[in-house]
Amino acid sequence: MVDLRVEIVPGLVLKNPVLSASGTFGYGREYASYFDVAKLGAVITKGLSLKPKIGNPGVRITETACGMLNAIGLENIGIDSFLANELPVLQNLGADVIVNIFGNNQNDYAAIAAKLDQVEGIRALEINISCPNVKAGGIQFGTDPESAARLVAAVRKATTLPLITKLSPNVTDITAVARAVADAGSDALSLINTLLGLAIDLENKRPVLGNVTGGLSGPAIKPVALRMVYQVVQAVSIPVIGIGGIASAEDALEFLMVGAAAIEIGTANFINPQIGIEIVEGIRDYLDQRKYLKITDFIGCLQS
Amino acid sequence: MYLFTGKILRNRQLTSDIRHLRISAPADFCQQSAPGQFIMLSCNDGLFDPLLKRPFGILNRGENWFEVVIKEVGKGSLQLGEMKEGAIVSGHGPLGNGYPEINSDLNKDDLTPLILVAGGMGIASIASCLLFSLKSSIKAGSRVLLYGAANLDELLLLDEMKESAPDIRIETITDDGSSGRQGWVTELLETELQQYPEALVFACGPEPMLINVQQVLRKVSARGYLSLENRMACGFGVCLGCVQDVTGIDDDGTVESAKVCTQGPVFPADKVVF
Ligand SMILES: Cc1cc2nc3c(=O)[nH]c(=O)nc-3n(C[C@H](O)[C@H](O)[C@H](O)COP(=O)(O)OP(=O)(O)OC[C@H]3O[C@@H](n4cnc5c(N)ncnc54)[C@H](O)[C@@H]3O)c2cc1C
Ligand SMILES: Cc1cc2nc3c(=O)[nH]c(=O)nc-3n(C[C@H](O)[C@H](O)[C@H](O)COP(=O)(O)O)c2cc1C
Ligand code: FES
Repeated sequence: MVDLRVEIVPGLVLKNPVLSASGTFGYGREYASYFDVAKLGAVITKGLSLKPKIGNPGVRITETACGMLNAIGLENIGIDSFLANELPVLQNLGADVIVNIFGNNQNDYAAIAAKLDQVEGIRALEINISCPNVKAGGIQFGTDPESAARLVAAVRKATTLPLITKLSPNVTDITAVARAVADAGSDALSLINTLLGLAIDLENKRPVLGNVTGGLSGPAIKPVALRMVYQVVQAVSIPVIGIGGIASAEDALEFLMVGAAAIEIGTANFINPQIGIEIVEGIRDYLDQRKYLKITDFIGCLQS
Repeated sequence: MYLFTGKILRNRQLTSDIRHLRISAPADFCQQSAPGQFIMLSCNDGLFDPLLKRPFGILNRGENWFEVVIKEVGKGSLQLGEMKEGAIVSGHGPLGNGYPEINSDLNKDDLTPLILVAGGMGIASIASCLLFSLKSSIKAGSRVLLYGAANLDELLLLDEMKESAPDIRIETITDDGSSGRQGWVTELLETELQQYPEALVFACGPEPMLINVQQVLRKVSARGYLSLENRMACGFGVCLGCVQDVTGIDDDGTVESAKVCTQGPVFPADKVVF
């Protein structure tokens, strides 16, 4: 049987390349009723901040053609409550945990990273510099290579944990941000976060979402995500984790073929809570049928 | 909670845009469903448009089927509503917390009257309290259903409810006066609560109606539960799309956000902050 293990960075070997995308997997426990979450490469938590955060008011989600817009606004229980109440549950479930973090400013990011540095059972941090749904923090760092690099450097100083920086697609040239954060010490990159979008309620002459704009996710964004992963893989020498519209093993394999070291599943979890494990099995079947011994022989096998 | 595919066993047209579907389901799903719970449904697995499953109240259930009523308001409900007998749907449920079981809530000697309040499609949720074969859960004192709709045609399932709960008194009210009085269902609630101030109230309907129900309940300090229908993406507590402000579920009075899908959809009326 094919060996599905992938090494993201030295010391961070995952049992397979299928991860849950932040904000679509809660803190993991809900999924335990549907499948053994320990069988995922890793569980990535909802984005966490130093203090609990209330999200955006009004309508937060709306469906669009083959996708959805969300403007949740990074609502979360705060890092202390996560450590006290959620991390132990995830550990009991045997999950490999990657914590997604964000802050209002550079100090917040560094403080939360420092806090998690000493915590047992966290495999890596994913730094969200790309949420389009909040005014402070998030995307303001992700659209400018210099601020992104400064932020990553500050987080790098605060922790020895492997760092994955999550990039925004809402930029002219994603490879510029990718190179900047790689140079600043990020161990890996993940992309893409959601694409900024707008939905209109024609009848009431209003935006549908309370926050006016929202982040587009789901199958609709897959070609954009795949193109960006393709470009970034060529531009940097650190591992790239592919995200965006993945809803089947075939989708996942396309990202791996383009050179992604792993993939994250987001919106598809809402439609089928078991999709994570189905994709792990689908990838295994595909590679077994084609007699691959290691998944790493498949990764990046795109012919030009 | 179950993920399953079922077959449309029956699709009955109730009005020009409302359908009553019976769908086959595993026995375990049927057994575990309770009045007020809901199911996420789709009929186009893998085609992505519509993408997400849609939430519908579980109206009724038998040994290996359940029923929903669907008002066609957009892509997802339209596609489900137009399904022919024999077609396949995929379901995820039962989800959420339904109405409290009356028996356990009550001292047996003191049979509290139960007032059910439905506005428009809110009947899908409220009727489950009457249609479910789990009749023991509603052995309250006297029962009344106060039911408001746009017009006579939009008053649904009246025969089914009378058949399943023959002792129930049903009062209707319509926006245009074509059945019962003309007006709002909360007017009926006020009158009813004057007579039975100790009654327990279950209500489901559009948000403006629920806001009024809450005000009426507060005025006379009556107890009640509201079933909310916020938009949902996942239905099982992982997206935070459906949240509603509530005052301390933990009783300390602070406002917090609750997930309607997992902490509701039925909430104690006094806790909901509109
Ligand atoms: C717990 C719960 C139980 C429900 N039970 C029933 C039921 O038994 N029968 C029934 O007919 N409907 C029920 N609904 C509402 C139903 O889910 C929506 O009407 C449906 O999701 C709309 O999908 P669509 O694709 O047809 O419309 P969309 O194209 O998504 O939207 C069309 C219109 O419907 C409105 N809409 C979208 N989602 C909701 C929602 N959650 N609630 C109210 N309006 C919405 C939008 O404002 C929009 O104007 C319930 C909703 C919830 C949350
Ligand atoms: C409802 C929702 C909430 C999200 N919350 C977060 C978050 O808290 N932090 C983050 O980094 N990304 C968040 N994302 C972005 C996803 O992790 C992912 O990058 C994006 O949805 C694209 O992948 P998909 O098309 O597979 O969903 C969220 C996405 C959705 C749909
Ligand atoms: S619908 Fe996703 S959390 Fe409630």
